[in-house]
Amino acid sequence: MRWWVCAIALAVVLMADAALMPAFAWRGMSPQLWPTLLAFIALYASRGGAMWAAVVLGLWMDALNPALGIGSMAPRAVPVFGPHALACAAGAWTILELRAWLYRRNALTVAFAAAACGLAASLTFVAVAGLRSSYADPSPLWGGGSGAAALGNDALEVLVSAVVGILPAWALQWTVPAWDFEVAGPRFGGGRGPRQGA
Amino acid sequence: MLLASRRILAVVLCAAALLAVLPQSAQAPWSGRLASFLWAPLRPGTAALAWLRDRVRAPEDPYPNLPDELRAALEERDRLRGELDAADLRIGKLEREVGELTGYRPADRAGWRPRLANVVERGGARPGGLLGIDIGVAQGVSEGDPAVVGGSQLLGIVAAGGSEGRSWVVPLDDRRAGRIDAVVHPSGAAGTGKGAAGREPGRGPRPTVLVQLLPQGNRTLVGELEPGADGRAADVRAGDAVLLSDASWRPAAQGMRIGLVESVGALDANPLRRRITVRMESDPARTSRLVVKVRESAVQGGAR
Repeated sequence: MRWWVCAIALAVVLMADAALMPAFAWRGMSPQLWPTLLAFIALYASRGGAMWAAVVLGLWMDALNPALGIGSMAPRAVPVFGPHALACAAGAWTILELRAWLYRRNALTVAFAAAACGLAASLTFVAVAGLRSSYADPSPLWGGGSGAAALGNDALEVLVSAVVGILPAWALQWTVPAWDFEVAGPRFGGGRGPRQGA
Repeated sequence: MLLASRRILAVVLCAAALLAVLPQSAQAPWSGRLASFLWAPLRPGTAALAWLRDRVRAPEDPYPNLPDELRAALEERDRLRGELDAADLRIGKLEREVGELTGYRPADRAGWRPRLANVVERGGARPGGLLGIDIGVAQGVSEGDPAVVGGSQLLGIVAAGGSEGRSWVVPLDDRRAGRIDAVVHPSGAAGTGKGAAGREPGRGPRPTVLVQLLPQGNRTLVGELEPGADGRAADVRAGDAVLLSDASWRPAAQGMRIGLVESVGALDANPLRRRITVRMESDPARTSRLVVKVRESAVQGGAR
């Protein structure tokens, strides 16, 4: 996998999620593109490459979502690294386990994988955040309410993201040669023949 | 290759797991700086995409379902207040320049001063994320300072833990922000309702109502209405303005608008009591510029 392509794609997706996607919000749910991109990478890249991409994406997301602690006049914002990194790693790992059964060269497959990836990531995030809220955080990292409610909200948002992500997934399929994936096969790997990833 | 090593990947994942369970105090000394470093390359693109977002879908009408005359008056007031804040910013800049040239020290301006800020960071993964702004301690911003848009619409509060040139704003609708004391002000001038001159047959102008609001995310807050001293339910209607009246907030924030009453209904747990849903006038997810009301003493301290 070409890492510079991956880094640019991750940055573009994070910027779009933060600034552009609220324009497509539906009933307060803003679709996200990161599950689509992570699922796409996990479908094509080597296992190691996909997991590294997930960790980098997760750390970037951790930087953007600080936890709130106790302050004297107002809550204290502290970026906590780790929860999103683990969540994204879990999401990528789920797709890595599923991809043998998936017909990957289809935008609908990427959308389905995005939903599975997002759900696994949400489950992991809520588990980690729930653990943290028992001793470290005055309010849970997911914002408020019960963990089950947070999971429900995340599930709905992931479904919306998967539906909205069909078009970006279709666009991503066209970029496969640019990524130089190790397991993409001769048709999408730029004619160099299939190589087995690490 | 370094990235091809499964052992290194395992070590990184273990480190992420360890970080994920560390208390905030263990990460606070360095995580803010690292987060700002990671986000720095994304700032220009985020600003450009925010501009595109507003072209794709224009921001919502801040005053829906109001009579045209009242809506026009509110918008005109907000516009003038925005211009007033802009003029304040300009005056402050000129005063600093005059001070540098002549040693002149401007008089205290009622304890606070507006500071314009751009939203440069925003959590995209979860709703109700904090807003990162490009001013911090160096510009006099301190925890508890109110953030406003449109002249009078309260957006949130500055969180503790900011750095020299960067701060975090906790939006009002963030559930972690805690309860907020507010007062429901009847819509129309001097508490008038729909009746002529604000009076209904047999009743005077509607009184203001105190309420404690709980953030719910998605620009909404809910509050439970207490019955009045006479045992009757408080008279609150959709469209009434909700203003901040919370002693734990700075004086500069008191009386600023939180939003409008969106609906009044029965409380699920106790149908005999009523609850109100308040919708924020400002939209934290789509705000790209805001004004922080910083304390005058902090400005002088920060300028040193």
